Amino acid sequence: MKFYVGIKMVPDVNAPLQIKDGQLIQDADRMILNAYDASAVEEALVLKEKHGGEVEVVSIGSPKASETIRKALAMGADKATHIQTTGNEAYDSATYARILAAFFKDKEYDVLSFGKQSQDTDAGLTGGMVAEMLGLPFATNAVGLQAEDGKLLVKRQGDSGQEMIELPTPCAVTCSNDMNEPRIPNLKGIMASKRKPMEQVELSSLGLSEDELTPKTSVTGYEEKPGREPGKKFEGEPDEIAREVAQLLDTEANVI
Amino acid sequence: MSTILTYIAISDGKIKRSSLEVLSHCKELADKDGHSVEAVIIDKDASSFVDGVKKYGASKIYVVEDPIFKNHMNTPLLKALANVMGATSPSVFAFASTESTKDVLGALAANQQAAVLSDVSSFELTDGGIKAKRPVMAAKILADAEAKGEKILVSVRSGSYDLVENEANSEVVSVDFSLNDGELRTTLKEIISVSGDTIDLNEAASIVAAGRGVKDEEGQKLITELADVLKAGIGASRALTESGMYDPSLQIGQTGKVVSPQLYIAIGISGAIQHVAGMANSKVIVAINKDPDAPIFEIADYGIVGDLYKVLPPFIDELKKIKA
Repeated sequence: MKFYVGIKMVPDVNAPLQIKDGQLIQDADRMILNAYDASAVEEALVLKEKHGGEVEVVSIGSPKASETIRKALAMGADKATHIQTTGNEAYDSATYARILAAFFKDKEYDVLSFGKQSQDTDAGLTGGMVAEMLGLPFATNAVGLQAEDGKLLVKRQGDSGQEMIELPTPCAVTCSNDMNEPRIPNLKGIMASKRKPMEQVELSSLGLSEDELTPKTSVTGYEEKPGREPGKKFEGEPDEIAREVAQLLDTEANVI
Repeated sequence: MSTILTYIAISDGKIKRSSLEVLSHCKELADKDGHSVEAVIIDKDASSFVDGVKKYGASKIYVVEDPIFKNHMNTPLLKALANVMGATSPSVFAFASTESTKDVLGALAANQQAAVLSDVSSFELTDGGIKAKRPVMAAKILADAEAKGEKILVSVRSGSYDLVENEANSEVVSVDFSLNDGELRTTLKEIISVSGDTIDLNEAASIVAAGRGVKDEEGQKLITELADVLKAGIGASRALTESGMYDPSLQIGQTGKVVSPQLYIAIGISGAIQHVAGMANSKVIVAINKDPDAPIFEIADYGIVGDLYKVLPPFIDELKKIKA
């Protein structure tokens, strides 16, 4: 199967961050491959190892995003396309989806795979948008993938259980990080990644109009989440403190 | 005057409370600015839920009823939602942020060329759109977001708004639906359902959540016993759903369910930010952990430092006495 996996460079949510004048200030060195995308890459590699095929990663981003793309190549992806932007743009999910749909429009593939959301914004929209723009059947929040007779079998986590869905190819799928543990690139993989092809594509070559690149949603500022008041901490004899807290939940917090 | 449409989610034969929370909020917004609020129910027995929706003030209730909606599938749901949008031209279409909503929201926005904000914790109408607050960066930060356009979709986290009853004499409108075999393309082969008698975490007033500190069957038994006493839903951290001790649908956190119950009891959970992102909006948080430096204590209202195997038996015993 031919997989295209859409990947994104995102800020590490574990890195310290601060808000200054409504803007998010972060250490520019703490950029990583989105964890959900890493799972999508891993699953595509597992299926390729089992059934043959090719895994190509595609990313939209500033020149710095090439580091993230190299990581996916070091994991084992065969080749990559980097759709270059300045990094100063304020695209929303729909803008990214329009760019990806324009890129995939005349490509041949069996499966387009994405992380189910990016871990910085948690919007979770792009994969479904791309599928709809290209008219592909799709499944989201996949926790397992199997290939069978040219079809993709997706196990997805729904509201009250897991659903097994069969998709004809070509199709699109978005992946949860619950499906696997993405491999850590080894030295051999890292060395090999430097020789793998990474095609640079100019955004302007995709034929999108100014209007199509203008997002309908925007972020106007950031604020700290109102913090929780520090609570009470109980240490000592388990029997005593357990009963004391149980009593307080009833008399003070009123939640029993 | 324009229309705010609300999607009423049905799951396991019940109206999802979170969608009535969204309807309650939309009713308030509509009344304030002289708009109308309408609702749509899409289910195999959609009309049987009409009375439950009337209580929350929708002036019109659209009903799409077809056997295909017995189980969630994105293709028919998308088509039904697009049909309803075509028939009603809402300026805002609001959803509760369930897994089913997440499955179709992006595609519906693309299909309708609508602006969309997902998973918001609050939203208001503006001139020509909406503004909303969205938790981002593992819910450590709130982003102020805006959407502009003639059609706007928004999905709201459960527990963001209170239910407000507001009985209306709603007009019920049936919307035709059909799908031919060729259109479906996807096949639902099997549902591995775990729900049964378990309490839906998004709806639960109390949640007992187990983490890495719960090591064995004895620990699980204590969790179940505590949940029974409190009539609470049981959740788990990623460590325990990955190990197979708890079902994946019970995972709470950035990856799993985002919950906001009245009472959240975190047991043997250290409080990694990915977990906290899924429960930090709970009203009252209790943490039981033997590590006094566990980050969960920073957000707990009541922190018990101790071995859960020693703390839970007297804790359960005392709660039983209170309940009696």
